[in-house]
Amino acid sequence: MLIDAFVELLNLWVLVAALAGIVSGIIIGAIPGLGPTMAIALLIPVTFSMEPIPAIVLLLGVYQGAIFGGSISAVLLNVPGTPSSAATAIDGFAMARRGEGGRALRLALYASVFGNIFSCLVLMALAEPLARFALDFGPAEMAMLMLFALLVIVLFGGGSKLDALIMVLVGACAGVVGLDPISGTPRYTFDSFAFENGFQLIPVLIGLFAMSEVLLQAFDSEPLVGDAEVPPLKSSVVRFAELWQMRVTLLLSSTIGTFVGILPGIGSTVPAFMSYNLARSRATDADQFGKGAPEGVAAPEAANNAVTGGALVPTLALGIPGDAVTAVILGAFMLHGLAPGPFLFRDHGLEVYAIFEALLLSSIPTVILGLLFFRIAIHVTRIQPRHLLPAIAILAIFGAFSVNNILFDVWVMLGAGVLGFLFRRSNFPLPPLLIGLILGAPFEQSLRQALLTSGGGYDIFVESPITIGLVALIFLSLAISLTLDLRKARA
Amino acid sequence: MKFTRRSSLALLVGMAIMPVSAMAQQDYPNRPIKIVVPYGAGGTTDISARQMATMAEKILGQPIVVENQPGASGTNAMRTVAAADADGYTLIATTSSPSFVTPALRDVGYDTLSDFIPILNYSGPFHGVVVPADSPYNSLDTLIEGAKSSTVTYGTAGAMGGAHLAFASVAKETGAKLQHVPFDGAAKATAAVLGGHVNAALVPAYRDLVKDGQLRLLGVLDGTKDPDFPDAPTLKEAGLAAEFPSIVGILAPAGTDPTIIAMLESAFTEVASSDDFKTFMTELSQPVRIMSGEELAKTIEENLNAYREIAKDLGN
Repeated sequence: MLIDAFVELLNLWVLVAALAGIVSGIIIGAIPGLGPTMAIALLIPVTFSMEPIPAIVLLLGVYQGAIFGGSISAVLLNVPGTPSSAATAIDGFAMARRGEGGRALRLALYASVFGNIFSCLVLMALAEPLARFALDFGPAEMAMLMLFALLVIVLFGGGSKLDALIMVLVGACAGVVGLDPISGTPRYTFDSFAFENGFQLIPVLIGLFAMSEVLLQAFDSEPLVGDAEVPPLKSSVVRFAELWQMRVTLLLSSTIGTFVGILPGIGSTVPAFMSYNLARSRATDADQFGKGAPEGVAAPEAANNAVTGGALVPTLALGIPGDAVTAVILGAFMLHGLAPGPFLFRDHGLEVYAIFEALLLSSIPTVILGLLFFRIAIHVTRIQPRHLLPAIAILAIFGAFSVNNILFDVWVMLGAGVLGFLFRRSNFPLPPLLIGLILGAPFEQSLRQALLTSGGGYDIFVESPITIGLVALIFLSLAISLTLDLRKARA
Repeated sequence: MKFTRRSSLALLVGMAIMPVSAMAQQDYPNRPIKIVVPYGAGGTTDISARQMATMAEKILGQPIVVENQPGASGTNAMRTVAAADADGYTLIATTSSPSFVTPALRDVGYDTLSDFIPILNYSGPFHGVVVPADSPYNSLDTLIEGAKSSTVTYGTAGAMGGAHLAFASVAKETGAKLQHVPFDGAAKATAAVLGGHVNAALVPAYRDLVKDGQLRLLGVLDGTKDPDFPDAPTLKEAGLAAEFPSIVGILAPAGTDPTIIAMLESAFTEVASSDDFKTFMTELSQPVRIMSGEELAKTIEENLNAYREIAKDLGN
């Protein structure tokens, strides 16, 4: 299987897709303010006509490239492209001001690759067994799992819990529009045929993450990056011995990234800061952290790259995405006929393993291109996003239309863009909205399916070992969250 | 006559339009033909339509492009094609649900009988009544009898689909307590029956799972038996007055010239009856079931009426 899958990758198009993805990812990620989620959302429509393997390889390449690109602007300009590289910026920018920007970027690159390889191996080990286990996930189990996922993003997603709760509910309510999943009757469609299909994920995604960015920047008079001087880059090397000294930090951070990634809904910001704090508490020279400690760059980078592999585990095995990016990738999988769940590995094992291997192997071109690019990328960081906004807007419209070839989706995209703009302007987080939209409708369906099979009895939600375990997890996470809040209030 | 810019432009436009309208039937097809598929790329309907298109291109001498317009269980695409020019350049490869199931339930913005001319039927997956291998039910009879004493749950690919309606009428007729549990697609309904979360499922693509011994096939919802499983009766053979015939056919907008329809019917029939196409479909685990345009029209009409009756009973 592994060898057959590898043979699938020996294809010019797969290589071209990987390289194109990584390069465009690094460029988009390096531009301050443009992040991986937007890059992937914009590029999904480009992959419509491609075969599944190169299509997904392209998108994962974009993702990996964009994460690294994001650390370029974080380190050199102190402008994190994504919230998850905010932790990298703390020590990375401090190093850059000392003239060690090149070293910081190399460290970030190697740490990212380490995190990626680690989580990819975990993914390969866990996804298929979990997918087999997925047959045991009936409606009741799925309902409890999704409730847990929604709860986790509200409680531990970082930021205000109330904000996250409101966003999850907005997303879930948007998911109600369309045909009722149980009775098949139209809901909130205003007698319009177009609404019967509900709001499609991809137009909403493009609107929320790409169009809202265009509006946000267009209405923002303050440029994100001034003409601040980029610190000079001295040529430098990172020796293997240095990385070897960091092995424990790298391993711990990757583990945190992968396993927090597996928990649905948290995303990569929380594990990045968790491993930064862990690295600081373990360090002998803890006072160096914040002033340019190399481990302060490596730890969060390893963690935020490891999240992808972890987040893909529940995405592929159960169809429950771990964060905004995997939600986008899930959309891409479905679009290419690779439906997650118990049959994914049976019906499309070859494609899935080829994609895993591509994710693993793409570390090689990421390192090469990353090393080649960061001198060029310094210039990219000076690109003012406003010069790209027209292109992004056009790509967004084109992309939304091309999903179903109907104009309605373009209006949905524009509506989501305006809504996303207003929410971001008022500092509401968007990822919970997306997860609410993705999980809201299936949660409703599973809940009602479970009640149909049990004849209306609620005991079905505490009948099987899986549901009991999930209910226990739900109470445990509520308790943890409450304890943390109490401790914070006392301190 | 003085040639102004405007009049010469009008003349040019006139010249450009005239041959198209006058010679439409004679040199058909003289540009690419579009087949709309009401489902996403990569599904069985899409793959089989693409194969059909590739093979028919050689006969018709023009490229045939397949365009996917998924959503709203196929009714979006049907509405688009119903409104398209009836010139033989826009066709639809459609299935049971948007042709006679959904239109029987609610206003979908088109009438399959008056807005379309069926060209031919070329496939249609068999839908089976399957139960887990360790289920106490080993025939349709025992399933129905069992459902008279305690509720039997069954999963289908979605609410108000053909399979659901067929079993709803069985339940009504026999008084059996059959509880429908709709899933989001046939794959999820199959997973639910494999995991024992529902007692039975009405799904296509059961062949490998039944041969593998994971599921037991009690019967098929179609009007004819699945040739792979001659022991599984149709609902009618088991004494139940319901069926859900599955079609995959090509329709053209109503008003298309009969000579064009005849030309397309002969081209597509030639493809559908070829050995190459059959081999391709077998690999896809799909049967080849050829019906002429006339027969398909009759099937659609009969079922549309039958489903309207069932829907009325269900209180829709």
